[in-house]
Amino acid sequence: MIGWLGQKTIDGYMYLTDLSAQVYVTLRELVTPGRQGRWASLRVTLRQMLFTGVDALPVVSAIALMLGLIVIMQAGTQLPKVGGEGLIGSIIVVVIIRELGPLTTAILVIGRSGAAITTELGNMRVAQEITALELMGIRTSRYIVMPRVVAMVFSMLCLIFYFDAIAVLGGFIIARIKLTIPFYTFAGAVAQSLSLVDVLGTVVKGVLFGTTVAVVCCHHGLSVRSSYTEVPQQVTKAMINSITICLLVDMLVTVAAYF
Amino acid sequence: MKWAVELSQARAGMTGEDWRTDFTLSVLPGEFVALVGPSRSGKGLILKLCAGLVAPEEGTVRVLDHDLASLDSEELAELRRRIGVVLQQPGLRSNMTLYTNVTLPLVYHLGVDEETLQPQVLPLLDALGLAPMKKYFPSQLTLGEARCAALARALVMNQELLLLDEPMAGLDAETAQRVDRVLAEYRRTHAVTILVSMHNPSVLLERADRIAFVRRGRIEAAGPYADMAKTPDVALRAYLGGRSVA
Repeated sequence: MIGWLGQKTIDGYMYLTDLSAQVYVTLRELVTPGRQGRWASLRVTLRQMLFTGVDALPVVSAIALMLGLIVIMQAGTQLPKVGGEGLIGSIIVVVIIRELGPLTTAILVIGRSGAAITTELGNMRVAQEITALELMGIRTSRYIVMPRVVAMVFSMLCLIFYFDAIAVLGGFIIARIKLTIPFYTFAGAVAQSLSLVDVLGTVVKGVLFGTTVAVVCCHHGLSVRSSYTEVPQQVTKAMINSITICLLVDMLVTVAAYF
Repeated sequence: MKWAVELSQARAGMTGEDWRTDFTLSVLPGEFVALVGPSRSGKGLILKLCAGLVAPEEGTVRVLDHDLASLDSEELAELRRRIGVVLQQPGLRSNMTLYTNVTLPLVYHLGVDEETLQPQVLPLLDALGLAPMKKYFPSQLTLGEARCAALARALVMNQELLLLDEPMAGLDAETAQRVDRVLAEYRRTHAVTILVSMHNPSVLLERADRIAFVRRGRIEAAGPYADMAKTPDVALRAYLGGRSVA
């Protein structure tokens, strides 16, 4: 039992070390000057942004709208019982903008784009596409990983702000129909409850979630060795580890910002 | 540069075999050396050692004046720009057309748009019979066409060293002739060293400056084709195009 626990601890430490090394290499590739691979990497980045950011807008819109409706519906029916009708703005900010917005967006991106990245890279590894790239002197850190990290961070940030805006809109629809709160009162309550820390916290979470998802998913995709049956196994690991690390990061940022 | 490739007692393990390789081979700049021998004899491993895909457990591997063991990943990537490698699996990017696959190393390393590369790339595709398929994706190509595309991708960078693993495998007679012509023309116009592995007799063997017979991880014999063809070893004669191994 102790041996098993020790081995798991060592494995976990090695895993986090590998991820940290990947983040370092990615940052170095990002700031290293030189023309080599810039144009090709930029095209990969734009394609990834299109898939992770733009193509995800319909599903993010639907889920954000429904979440905003649900949260304000529940809050609107419970708050009057304790005389808290004026707390609608605070509920929106605390529940959606601070927590549910970033986390739900991250989970959506993990399920949609993270899984796709791991699958794509895993299949590329088995088909020896990665080996062929390396043999052409094309660095995977520059051509494969860095563009995906940059695209994921940028897309995650935009999607979180978009998610928050749509969820607030959903909340307003319910506030208008069920609670008969006018737009100006609703918007004023949200704006009053929103602080600079909330906005900065969202930005920090967006950057960290994007980096985490991209690095974890690339790591697992590139960990596939020789068989297509390894691909779904690595996808499962990438999903679980991405969600776990995002929750951990969320907790740390929340504690640092609000505790 | 005295040797383009120099393996000195390079030892490495072969998956599933109980023996270890012990390769000693020197290839002059501009020389064309063909490695022949049975499957799983270590021919492909020699190419992988030279490409830096496998590190020797003992011994040294020097390629284009660089000891591969002393290079970091960036230096190795830089050296690989001068080496064209075609493995048995073509490794074409599945989401790119044949043309964009072939131009990828140029687009990446030179930062140019692939459309501007047409005058340079299309004649090569034409010579290999690939021009009509330039807009096809790898899944629409036969294995032979995909291997030809991988060869074209290895040739576009004007490499100093070519490492070709079974370049004639899976090709029809016409395509094999095209590959032979392209390689002969490439040799005529470029100062290139070629190391090729073959497990079937081919016209390429007669074009090679030297043949090296590889068996169980060792180079058992090496010399010009004419000398090797006189060998009493019936197995070697079979790989050179002789009639019987019995």
